[in-house]
Amino acid sequence: MLSVDRIPDQVGYLVMTEDGAVVSSGGELENGERIANVVAGLISLCDKVDSTAFPGDKGFKKITVNYEDHAYVICLSNKKVYVVKRKTSPQPPMETDLSSNIS
Amino acid sequence: MEKSIERCLSETCSMDGVIGSVLADQQGLCLGVKGKASISSSGVITAIADQVAKLEPASKNPIIVLENDTNQCLIQRADRATVAIFKTSNPVN
Repeated sequence: MLSVDRIPDQVGYLVMTEDGAVVSSGGELENGERIANVVAGLISLCDKVDSTAFPGDKGFKKITVNYEDHAYVICLSNKKVYVVKRKTSPQPPMETDLSSNIS
Repeated sequence: MEKSIERCLSETCSMDGVIGSVLADQQGLCLGVKGKASISSSGVITAIADQVAKLEPASKNPIIVLENDTNQCLIQRADRATVAIFKTSNPVN
């Protein structure tokens, strides 16, 4: 039923309801009740961030939490929240990038 | 101190696609705002950064990206402050 397993570099996933109840989970996020509660709290905070910057905004579609070598991608679809943990390649800081271009 | 904050926020706002930026302290009080952004958003960006910090308390502060088709909001917490950068690909907005 789920094709979450097929996402490239995916190391864990969580499907939950909007109130934080876990529907299914796998990989590193298996039985991730704690993560689910944090994500549920995060979604309620992200409802309206700044109406001056984004007037008439209908809210956000995707939340990404980028750590050095992995990221959590959070999306809402069909009244369910999908959380996917993905491995990412570490990005060098911007200063390093600029100096390497000069030399 | 205010001048360096002001300058930093102005530099950020001059970057491509950036429409506004906000800097908040640990308690969510606004330290500075530039461009199209509201002072009142400082509390919510700090709350978002605090909430995300609970995901992996042992890891370094992550960069949080909230996005839809046209807008992006980037949030990162440093030691004693939280910064939010608002970007859009829709110049009318």
